[in-house]
Amino acid sequence: MTARPQSALDRDGPGSRGATSSGALVEMRGITRNFGDTHALRGVDLTLRGGEIHALLGSNGAGKTTLVRILAGLDRPDAGTVDLLGRPVARFDPKALRSQGVALVQQHFTLVPTLSASQNLVLARPEGILIPGARAARDRLNTLIEYTGLSVRDDVPAGRLSVGEQQRLELLRALDADARVLLLDEPTAVLTDQEAETLLNVCRTLAAEGRALAFITHRLAEVFDGADRVTVLAEGQEVISDELVADHTRAGLASAMIGQEASGTFTDRSGRSSENHVARRLVVSGLSLGRLEAIDLEVAGGEILGVAGVDGNGQFDLEAAMSARSIPDAGSVAVDGMVLEAGNPRHRRAQGLAYIPSDRYQFGLIRAMELADNLELGRVPRWRERRAARREGSVAALDHWNVQSAGPAAQASTLSGGNAQKLVLARELNGEPRAVLACYPTRGLDPNAADTVAARLVSCADDGAAVLWIGAELDELLAVSDRIVVLAGGSVVGPFFPPYDRAALGLAMAGEASDDQP
Amino acid sequence: MTATVTPTEPAEETPGLLARIAHRATAGGPINQVLVPLAAVVAALVVGAVFITFDGSNPLLVYREIVSAVFTGRRGFSDTATAATPLILIGLGYAIAYRARVFTIGAEGQYLVGAVVGTAWVTAGGISDMPRFPLIMSGLLLAALGGALWSMLAGWLGVRFGANIVISSLMLVYVAEAVLAWAVRDGIKDPDSFVNQSRQIGPATLPDLPGTSTHIGFALAVLLVPVAAVLMARHRGGFRVTAYGHNPSALDANEVRSKTVVLLVMVIAGALAGLAGMVETAGVSGRLGAQASVNLGFEAIIVALLGRLNPVGVLFAGLSLAGLTIGFESAQREFDLPSSLVGVITALIVVFVVVGDALASRGKEAA
Amino acid sequence: MDILFKIETLEAAIRLGIPVALVALGALVSERTGVLNLGLEGMMLSGALAGYAANEATGSPWVGLLAGVAVGACSGGVLALLVVTARANQVVTGIALTLLAISATTYLFQLQYAIGGIPPRVNRLGMTPLVLMTLACVVALWFLFNRTTLGMAMGAVGEAPEAADALGYRVNHLRWVATIIGGGLAGLGGAALVNGPLGLFIGNVTAGRGWVALALVVFAGWRPGATVAGALLFGLCDAAQLRLQGTTTDIPYEVFLALPYVVTLVALVLRARASRTPAALGVAYVRGAH
Repeated sequence: MTARPQSALDRDGPGSRGATSSGALVEMRGITRNFGDTHALRGVDLTLRGGEIHALLGSNGAGKTTLVRILAGLDRPDAGTVDLLGRPVARFDPKALRSQGVALVQQHFTLVPTLSASQNLVLARPEGILIPGARAARDRLNTLIEYTGLSVRDDVPAGRLSVGEQQRLELLRALDADARVLLLDEPTAVLTDQEAETLLNVCRTLAAEGRALAFITHRLAEVFDGADRVTVLAEGQEVISDELVADHTRAGLASAMIGQEASGTFTDRSGRSSENHVARRLVVSGLSLGRLEAIDLEVAGGEILGVAGVDGNGQFDLEAAMSARSIPDAGSVAVDGMVLEAGNPRHRRAQGLAYIPSDRYQFGLIRAMELADNLELGRVPRWRERRAARREGSVAALDHWNVQSAGPAAQASTLSGGNAQKLVLARELNGEPRAVLACYPTRGLDPNAADTVAARLVSCADDGAAVLWIGAELDELLAVSDRIVVLAGGSVVGPFFPPYDRAALGLAMAGEASDDQP
Repeated sequence: MTATVTPTEPAEETPGLLARIAHRATAGGPINQVLVPLAAVVAALVVGAVFITFDGSNPLLVYREIVSAVFTGRRGFSDTATAATPLILIGLGYAIAYRARVFTIGAEGQYLVGAVVGTAWVTAGGISDMPRFPLIMSGLLLAALGGALWSMLAGWLGVRFGANIVISSLMLVYVAEAVLAWAVRDGIKDPDSFVNQSRQIGPATLPDLPGTSTHIGFALAVLLVPVAAVLMARHRGGFRVTAYGHNPSALDANEVRSKTVVLLVMVIAGALAGLAGMVETAGVSGRLGAQASVNLGFEAIIVALLGRLNPVGVLFAGLSLAGLTIGFESAQREFDLPSSLVGVITALIVVFVVVGDALASRGKEAA
Repeated sequence: MDILFKIETLEAAIRLGIPVALVALGALVSERTGVLNLGLEGMMLSGALAGYAANEATGSPWVGLLAGVAVGACSGGVLALLVVTARANQVVTGIALTLLAISATTYLFQLQYAIGGIPPRVNRLGMTPLVLMTLACVVALWFLFNRTTLGMAMGAVGEAPEAADALGYRVNHLRWVATIIGGGLAGLGGAALVNGPLGLFIGNVTAGRGWVALALVVFAGWRPGATVAGALLFGLCDAAQLRLQGTTTDIPYEVFLALPYVVTLVALVLRARASRTPAALGVAYVRGAH
């Protein structure tokens, strides 16, 4: 490492300015944050000390990102206090917190794609009315590059840099602002192993200078390679709080991540008869798109295949390819032996593959249209019935699926989340589909609605459909699935059979092979 | 992808103003559809009254003259109907395109291309000997085809290459003007004329509606209104157009590739504009000259907006605007008013519609 | 073909091109921040009328230019209010304002100078001051966008408003500023047209040049210098087709009429593929909606 740029740390030395006696640069106490009915964080504490790397572990929806966003000023807590460098934070504003030394490197980057790397630096921390010349800007960039060993090209617009380079640039930008508290959200998710290792090395160096680093991750290897302390969140609460990594095992952390056993609100299928209907009803062969690399899946009629995994491992791509929304780079999807035409949603429906989208408001419904019209989406006949007839005809479906609304003429935007999802089900599952692609079907729903939706999907399977259920909550998948596979790192791990071993699943999701795996 | 905690309420989507107008137009009750444009018209008339008073005349008398010029006397209504015809035709096209939130502004160009193609066909040697009915029909059809292709060009550039449809459709207007200039000077020029214009279209002239002095183009425009209304309300294509305007992603995931909808509306808008071009040439001017289009394209945008992107609304808006213009011509002579005043009032109407909707939705947001 | 290179043609090219160049620079500024200004034609026209009236009243063409800038800037403010703050659709609002400007300027002009009466000619500026002024604008804008933080922020707002917002730049404020500057330049262009080559005002004197300016910006890839060069090219085509009208050549002069727009279409396609268009052009910004 070459000489590093001037830093506030030079003047103060680690831990001497603004830190408490325990060396804590950040103390978050009792942080609570709710989004409507969802309790994202329930009285969470987090302490970040200078010179330490702190890992934040947890499964989807545990609250890690919310916590970090609050610290960065992008969100505010409903209750609790945040002390930064010994002083309480009064204003949760990104610019203010950035100027106080907190930097957040998020998963989606906030670079201006048409500016070069050095220009992006200048934009983030301008030096007055005039911008420095190209040479001076480049020097600023190069100083940081030399100091960290992270290389970024300056001769192309930032939009053309590789994902790894973009992330390095984000990190350099944070350092340029001389951040004392660095927060990284899933930093290695988009990096190769080599890049990840470089990154962790840099983090160690930065920490050694007295900065406090925290990174969100779901990869256990990183926790053990890179972190000094760990906090595990589950459902908005701390399961393991601010403990030394050295005091734990991989398996222990994995279990903690998955969380306690839920109270079993989901329909339990363990007692189901396993008489088989049609074998290989829904088949995915060699599918490649985005994160997915030539994956194969098979679901028999009457079977529910649960697809588990941490967000960002290809679920979105799988959904896009199977729903015919995107055309895959390679591979195919077939229902009852008929290959679905890529990019043709009507063909998908005609062949009997129902699609419950992960984002019902973007892909499933048209908010401004009435319920009766939404029920027709994807199956609109060439000549539609009169509006009154359409509305009348939809009443039966709305009742059958218990969609509570002001009537078939109401706009879809007036429905609550649960009822909107039931509307989607009413449309998709009407008419005995041969296969169902359900993507996070209970996401964002209150427990009652979630239960209803899950029950309906299960009964679909009982009627002989092949159900592919992409889920986030492991409890849900454990309860309904006949088999479970895990998407990790672009490929499929599994299958796992009941009785399910949570630890093994957790390890698979965290990217670790367990002893049972071939 | 960020691990998310999904809020239970749907993420607030705050669309732009025309989106809100279109939203109200399709989802709001009849009161909403009529109230804002009506209020805008009234407001514009009030401002116009101020100007008229400034000029020394009594606004009430002026407005009464306008109304009487339009309604009493067959001449008045015939003129209004004739003036309204191209506005309605082009306005229908715009209404459909804007429902899909495809903001093409190239109708002027499609109009001209349609006129050139149609006129070239019916004045060509050999063709002009055809019996009258097939001659007229084929001329109109080819004109519509020409306009459709011209519009498709902009649509294709947008869908295939991502070119901004607003700008590309506008550029094609200018290219069309150049095509027109060449056509009347060289391509289809009347050899017996000193002025740059095409031959007389003679037998292809549109006949008048029996008993009136209005050409049948008006009847065609009026007939197309319920056709468009039915197609939008009851045909699958109409559903797709409206759905695309609201949420193209949902369409992609469930119904049809959304690009086809863009091309569809561009074709329809172009065909209608091209048709209007030939209708005007064959019904009004009798031949194609260098000054073929007088801002019709932009006036039609006003008609579409005033009509709330609704075919029936377009009909009323087209008639109203034409009536205002025709009636004003008479009042202007009577009261010695500046001829540009009617343009001011018309423009104020659409500005007030835009402002009115802005105020309405800010009020809704604050509520 | 040699007609293109005669001095008179080149002079005419500059004469015809300068006012358009100024308007195009105005379009460039607002589009850099993502605001598509379809009211330019109207703003140019308003500036022309204001410029003429002020010149006629005071006898000074420079006062006329100032008046043009003022009126244009005010129009820009109105557009910004509707399009940035109220988030109205940029296409429709721009067109509405242009239509209003076209009819309003004709009306006001007719009021002042009754039909039949000959509007007085006003003192004109020679080409030299106008050319210098345009060059000054080009240099100023180049400096703004390449050398100042403000300019860089404006560009960021047009490309990636979420990123700019996250960095603490106020997207809507910058768009307001850009739209007002753009309107002011458009008004200046109109005033320059009337107080320069023409020396008088007639109804709809701009005759569509404002629309041409929009095309120019695309053609020039949103760069100030190239924009002015493009304007001169347009002027050249304009001058050429005027001169060719009387002559008989193999190439119909209408080709020159259409040529600039065809080239712009090609540029539009190429630029779109090369993503030169400000990514957020035409889209209102709402924090959190992306």
